[in-house]
This record gives sequence, C-alpha cells and structure tokens, in this order.
Amino acid sequence: MNKLDQLPSKKILSLFMTCGFPTLSQSKKVFDEILSHQPDIIEFGLPFSDPMADGPIIQESSKIALKSKITTKQSLNLIAQLKKNSQKTAFVIMCYLNTVQKFGVQNFIKEIKNVVDGIILVDLPFEEEKSIKNLLDKNNIHLIKLISPMTDQKRSKRLLKEAKGFVYYISATGITGSNKLDYKEINKNVLALKKQTKIPVLVGFGIKSKKDVMAISKNTKADGVIIGSALIQKYFDLKMNFTKYIISLRKFIKEVKI
Amino acid sequence: MKNYNQPNTLGRFGDYGGMYVSETLMPLLIDLDQSYQKIQKDKKFQKELKDLFKNYVGRPSALHHAKNLSAYLNGPKVYFKRDELNHTGAHKINNCLGQILLAKKMGKTRIIAETGAGQHGVATATVCALFGLPCHIYMGSKDIERQKPNVFRMKLLGANIIPVESGSKSLKDAMNEALRDWIKNVRDTFYIIGSTAGPHPYPKMVRDFQSVIGKEAREQILKIEKKLPDYLIACVGGGSNAMGLFYPFLNEKKVQIIGVEAAGKGPKTNQTAATMTSGTPGILHGSYSYVLQDNDGQIKEAHSISAGLDYPGVGPEHSYLKDIKRAKYYGVTDKEALNAFQLCSKLEGIIPALEPSHALAYLIKAFKNKAKGKTIILNLCGRGDKDLFTAAKAIGFDADE
Ligand SMILES: Cc1ncc(COP(=O)(O)O)c(C=O)c1O
Repeated sequence: MNKLDQLPSKKILSLFMTCGFPTLSQSKKVFDEILSHQPDIIEFGLPFSDPMADGPIIQESSKIALKSKITTKQSLNLIAQLKKNSQKTAFVIMCYLNTVQKFGVQNFIKEIKNVVDGIILVDLPFEEEKSIKNLLDKNNIHLIKLISPMTDQKRSKRLLKEAKGFVYYISATGITGSNKLDYKEINKNVLALKKQTKIPVLVGFGIKSKKDVMAISKNTKADGVIIGSALIQKYFDLKMNFTKYIISLRKFIKEVKI
Repeated sequence: MKNYNQPNTLGRFGDYGGMYVSETLMPLLIDLDQSYQKIQKDKKFQKELKDLFKNYVGRPSALHHAKNLSAYLNGPKVYFKRDELNHTGAHKINNCLGQILLAKKMGKTRIIAETGAGQHGVATATVCALFGLPCHIYMGSKDIERQKPNVFRMKLLGANIIPVESGSKSLKDAMNEALRDWIKNVRDTFYIIGSTAGPHPYPKMVRDFQSVIGKEAREQILKIEKKLPDYLIACVGGGSNAMGLFYPFLNEKKVQIIGVEAAGKGPKTNQTAATMTSGTPGILHGSYSYVLQDNDGQIKEAHSISAGLDYPGVGPEHSYLKDIKRAKYYGVTDKEALNAFQLCSKLEGIIPALEPSHALAYLIKAFKNKAKGKTIILNLCGRGDKDLFTAAKAIGFDADE
C-alpha cells in the first residue's frame, strides 16, 4: 500500500524540509513538529553541496546541515525513525541524483523501501529515468514527476503517461523560493495537466503564506500546494533562535492547513 | 578505433555525459540541441563563423616550432599551437563566437556565462559587445580577486559582473549560479557555457566549435612535417581546449594523446583539481563524469593556482577517452606549473597562461631526454597577461611597484 495513492481529493498540503537542518538532533524536533500536524505529504530534502535547482534559502539550509556533517545514511535513518510515529502522512524524499548514485541505487532503495512512498529526483529528467524508475516501481516507490511552465503539452503527455503519486507543478519558471505567482497562467496549465492525468496536481515554488495557499485554492483547480522555502525562512527571520523557530513553525503550519 | 562517433543522440560518450537537469531546463536543452543540429548544416552560418574566425579572431593560429625548448629537452621536436595569439588571448573566443551566432539564430536577447580565470568571461563579453547583446557574467569572488585584469576587461566591454559568494567562491559555484539564472530566465536567455562540461548538447557543441584548433594543427603539421604528430598535449580544466585539439586526431591510432590536469598542492592532498586522477564518476552540472567528491557524493572544493583549471569536474568526453584508454591524463602541481611558466617565458619569449603552463610542465617532466625524433603538438591555449599578479605573488616578486 502506498499512501500517495490515498491522498484526499482536495486541498492537499505537502511540506518540504531539509534533513539535518539546523543540526541532526534539532532536525528531529523540526520534523516531529511538522508531522504532529499530519500534513498529507512530507518531503525530506537530502542536503547536497551543489543544489542547482534550489534558491538561496534551501541552499543555505543544505549548507548548514552539511556543516554538521550529516551523511546520507543518517538522513535515511532519521526518516525511518520518524516513520514509526507517523501513520497518516505520505513520505517523500527530494534529492539530487548524485546522492543516490553514490549511495548505490540498489542500496538506497533497500533503505527507503516500506518507509518512503515517493521520491523526487530533481535532476533526473524523463529521458534519463528508465532504469531507476523500473527499480522504484518494483519496490512500490513512486517517482514523482516535475512539470514546469516550459514543458509543452506534447511533452507533459509523455511524462504523465505512467506518472504515479502526484504531479509537482512548478508554478513559476524559477528556482525554489522564487516570488512571482500568476494564478491565471497557473490555472491554465493545471487544467491542461488535469486532462492528461488522474493523479493530483500540486503547485509548488513560491508559495509563502496562508494568503498564497488560499489564492491557489480559490483561483486554480490545483489539488494542493507544496511549501518549502517559507518553512525554512522563519529560522533566519528569528535569528536562528531554535525555540522560537519551533513555535513559529507550529503557528505557520496551522495557518496554511486550510 | 576507426570511426569515432561520440556522443549518441542523448549526449552519451559511453556511459558519460547525458542531461541531468531539472525539468525547467529540459525543453530548453532539447531546443538548443535541435537548433545546434540545424546550424551545423547551415552554410550561411558556417560561412559567417569562418569569416569571424579569420578576421576577428585572427585564425588560423600559428604553429610555432619551439626550438629552444626542444633543445632544452633534448628529446622531441615541440610545436606550440598558438591559440594564445587569438583576439582576447585564449581559445575561449572560438566557442563564444559559435554560441553567440547560435543565440542570435534562436532569437535570444540576453546572454549569461560563468567564468573562472575570466578568459571565458572576457570572450563572452567581447562577442556580446560585437553583437550588441546584454551580458551577465557569474564569477566567484575568489576569482574576482585573483583575476583583476580580466574583471576590468569585462567591465570595459560592457558586461555586468555578478560576484558569487556561495561554496568555494570559484568556477563551480559560478556555474551553479549561472544555471540558476537560466532556470529563472528561460525564455529570453542564452547560456554560453565556456567548456566541454554541463549537460548535453554543450560538451559536444563546445568541442565542435573548438575543434578548429585540431583541424588547423593537423593541416599545419602535415605541411611542415609531412606526417602526423606522435603526441598531443593539452591542459584540461573542463576540457575544451584539449578536446578542440584532440578531436580531429581521435581516429589516428598512432597519435598518442595526453591531457594534463591541475594537481594543486599534489594529487593525494585535499587541495587538488585533478579530477580524473583523484576523482570518481558522479554527476555535476548536469553531466555524468569524473568529479571530486566525498563518500556521500558531496562535491569537494577544487584547488589550483590556475583559476581556469580550478574545477572539481571535467567534460564527459575526457572521462570516456580515459576509460577506453584513448587518452592518458596526468596531474601537475602548482609549483611545477609555475616553474614551466618561467621556463617557457625565458626560452621561447612567450609568457603562457598558468593553464597551459600545466601542459608545459608535464612536457618538461615526462620528455626530458626522451622520445628523440618524435614530434609533439602542445596547445598553448592562453597567454599569461591575466596571471602576472598571481604568478608574481607566488614567485615572490613585488608587482605593485
Ligand atoms: C587559457 C586557458 N586555458 C585553459 C582553460 C581551461 O578550460 P578548458 O579545459 O575548457 O580548456 C582556461 C579556462 O579559463 C583558460 O583560460
């Protein structure tokens, strides 16, 4: 059974957080807090030295996590540990391919099997995915598809043909944490995608507040949203005061659960 | 190895290469690849490029018999392929002209590039000035410090220089930022990558534009020596000057090919840029190739006195040529390169850039009293003006006076 196959039909909330941020032990507390709100999906970012598709905030979180020398194995152990107390939320890993390759694709899948429901490999495009996708399929882990405003309909049709879990629609051309949202354009593209697939279409990149979440829900037919940078930003806003950070996370997640 | 025919249509050189980028960039790369294929057959495009090579760059570059160095070696007959005489002082301009003509064809209106030594930045700023396109150059703040003359050149040429403070503040990080810029500005922007690195079609396209070096060298040496050279030697950062020289000779089994990487303080230290001697296969900047990385796949910072070689990755075609043993790769330390830099200046009256000084250092190390009667072409791909301050400092000369 894969939790991504049982997502609600509306207002899906997916929350992204970097593993090991700010430190390995504090990271556990951050995830405990996030998971206590039972979001539909949680995305665990594995820190990478060269996150070329990420904006400054997620980059910084990666850098801070790597400073305390977190390893891939430690991240995966943390995720497995969190899984024990979390029955409702679907678990997704978001990372760069080199992390998986270096760990060994087979080994990696063995570690996350029965723990993780899906994986987003940011820099693994459709053209290169075949062998990894086969292995993931065999282990009931969904390879999540990213679609960008640059993806034309012909291409999205090919990409979505065998897509499972959900579609990650990048709401603006840009890196994570970018700021412009054009609801008309988003809705047009979301509608087109929904004609091509039955799985939920989630909008991510640039969603920062309850207002943004409400606006997406009101102005588009998207099935939900993904929030990442905004969760991490708070830590820097609060001058890295961890206690205050946890409190503000709590408040923020309550707000964006609409 | 009769008919070398790499990469395949997905940009694979054997297992290496490919397109490992986010979906935002995929449609662009596919579009770029198709446009590139078109212009390869476009006679007008090729004529325009040829004309610019001749009248703007000053091609063909000379093939100089380095008699004094040859005598010093007491070994092979050494020829320099003098791409340091090109307009802007290095081979980088060959590729930039090709790419900017392509950008024009594709209707792009904004140019971005990364630079390490600043040579590619200068070449990009130059072609942007020539074609009247706005130019934004990403450059690590560490490189801005050590390549000041080139920073000023780029500014004179009208480029906007964006200092990069992330990571090791050098070439790798400049490339990350340039890729991020491209992801943000997909519609109007053309990214001129400066080496045979990055996702497909860049490694192939840059190689093709640079292969004018090898084509000329081949004609020139056949004319002078009436035979092919026994060895080719070039320095390898991302690998574009080397591929440019090597490519037209790959089918010639008898021509031995040597790539020289920067080993910084030594290949076994943590301060090296010798990717193929000290690295393992992995993914960096959209391409699968040798990289300097730790056990967790985190990319390590490279180190070299030469900003143009200070890169923890290498073009995928070099990884392939290494694995199939068509080319051999060696590392040379900062110190050896600095010695060669001085020796070449004194012996030949040519002040080389620190990058080809690595190739020179290997030549001096490996061919002293050896290979008599053989001929070697060494790619003297850049001149040393930009490195005067760095070299003076390293040698202990007070250049401020
Ligand atoms: C003179 C010179 N040679 C070599 C290089 C290294 O690049 P590549 O290996 O692509 O030739 C550079 C890069 O800046 C350079 O300026």
